[in-house]
Amino acid sequence: MMVGVERIKLALVDYMIWLIIAGAFIFFSCTIPRFLTFKNVLFILYVAAPLGLLVFGEAVCLLGGNMDLSLSENAGFTAMIVGVMLVDWAPWLPGWTGIILMALVGAGLGAVNGFFVGKVKINPFLVTLSTFLIYNWMTYYLRRGAIIKMPGALLIPGGGRIGGVFIAIPILIGMAIFLYFILDHTRFGSHIRAIGGNSDAANMLGINVGNTHFWIFTIAGALAGVAGLLYTGYLKCIPSTIAEGDIFLAFAGAIIGGVSLRGGRGSAIGALGGVLLMGVINAGCTMTAMEPALRGVLNGFILLTAILINKTRANLRDRILMPK
Amino acid sequence: MKLKKVKESKGAPLVKMEDIHKWYGKIHALKEMSFEVCPGEIVGLIGDNGAGKSTLIKILSGVLSKNRGKIYWKGEEVNVSSVKEARKLGIETVYQDQAVIGCLSVAQNIFMGRQPVKSWGPAKVLDKGKMRREAEKLARDLKLHIPSPNQEVRFCSGGEIQGVAISRAMYFKASLVILDEPTTALAVSGVQKVLSFITRLKSEGIASIFVTHNLHHVYSVADRFVVLSRGEKVADVKKEETNIEGLIELQLRKGVTVT
Repeated sequence: MMVGVERIKLALVDYMIWLIIAGAFIFFSCTIPRFLTFKNVLFILYVAAPLGLLVFGEAVCLLGGNMDLSLSENAGFTAMIVGVMLVDWAPWLPGWTGIILMALVGAGLGAVNGFFVGKVKINPFLVTLSTFLIYNWMTYYLRRGAIIKMPGALLIPGGGRIGGVFIAIPILIGMAIFLYFILDHTRFGSHIRAIGGNSDAANMLGINVGNTHFWIFTIAGALAGVAGLLYTGYLKCIPSTIAEGDIFLAFAGAIIGGVSLRGGRGSAIGALGGVLLMGVINAGCTMTAMEPALRGVLNGFILLTAILINKTRANLRDRILMPK
Repeated sequence: MKLKKVKESKGAPLVKMEDIHKWYGKIHALKEMSFEVCPGEIVGLIGDNGAGKSTLIKILSGVLSKNRGKIYWKGEEVNVSSVKEARKLGIETVYQDQAVIGCLSVAQNIFMGRQPVKSWGPAKVLDKGKMRREAEKLARDLKLHIPSPNQEVRFCSGGEIQGVAISRAMYFKASLVILDEPTTALAVSGVQKVLSFITRLKSEGIASIFVTHNLHHVYSVADRFVVLSRGEKVADVKKEETNIEGLIELQLRKGVTVT
């Protein structure tokens, strides 16, 4: 068995992201007045939540050895479909049904990707590049401009509060815990990891690879749908540019959180860490009124740093785990 | 799967393949092949590349379908149409090195696809404790030198990886294990390890088919040898009736090179 020191080393390496978050948080708390307040911490989480759901969706895809370029456009298109549905197509629908519809429409759009990747066996990059374009431009086709007036119920999950706490925060954290449970404690989750790690072997072990791919994309799509719901509540409207292009940040968040592009490695809790780190740095930049263009540049540097850190981390981890 | 009862005699073969033919387009890959394995027996299936060994075992493990012929399992005619069905019968296949997932633990790899679960209300949760305990027991049984069942498989040696695959067969109580070139990619110590695993299977009463083109590896453990050449069976001899030189000669006579 592993000795105590090794275990502590391994834990430090595995949970490095949380140390970095703590470091960034302490740094901003010291340099920015009013950074370290309960209200501000809540606000950081609230702002991070919509993108966070996209990060989770991408993390699920990456763990299964896939990728989904269309997630952010899925979130936008889903929000627009549900918005137009509640306003124009079926105004008699009660507003709360929109909340369920978001998850369902998102899952449906994700299932389209899943069908082509899992059943028709087309490369996920090509499939989701196509659906990225389709979902992106369909959003503009449905409505040029924004839906401003919509049932209030639709804004509650993304913008409402219970006792001062934004509802989006328990949704973000609850979803991370739920995904951790699915990925690490169910057969289905282990199949996702197995396929991500070595899909030929998984096939030989009797795992239905095509089916699992289908469900990976469907789940990622449902998460994108929920992200669309949170974006709607956060923006208090549904513009045709909603969530547009956020897929790059979603990839960045998952990678920063330690999810490997090679598949099989990473965790939902790590992805949450990636979301939080981006959130903390984003908040720091906002509060120091940093030039928006430079913030974009900074995001790129953070991603590059994260990749380097994760590479070192993987090497350290191997060195600790290598049997002597 | 249609079952037809036939008369069962004592000491009947575990599996019996009769008059098996397989064509790949115009190529007649298996000709009138008959092959059987008795319970607990170790059969060495030897022959050069292209002799038909792989085709034969792929038909038996449900990967390929035969064009003609019959397969009997414990005296009953069966149709092995998929890997799943083969496993249901108790036929487990150990592939050369592909069927493990490097980034998952030894325990996860042994149970992958068939993990034990426990109920948490409506949810079925992986029973990780049980997987760890059983994996530890299997590793001890097979004398695998892994520090912990949580170790990721990519840190295992080639021999140990074969051990992981073989412990699947032991845990899930297979009656027949097909080992496809299990020693080819291994160092000498790994070969010894795999041979000891196979002897261990025999002591559990599990029959095995050891497919190889290396006579020296299979000779010490096998009870019987079946030699194939160009899709045909050229010899089927018990160990008592032959010796290693005899087997080499059998192969050479058919113009097959021995490695």
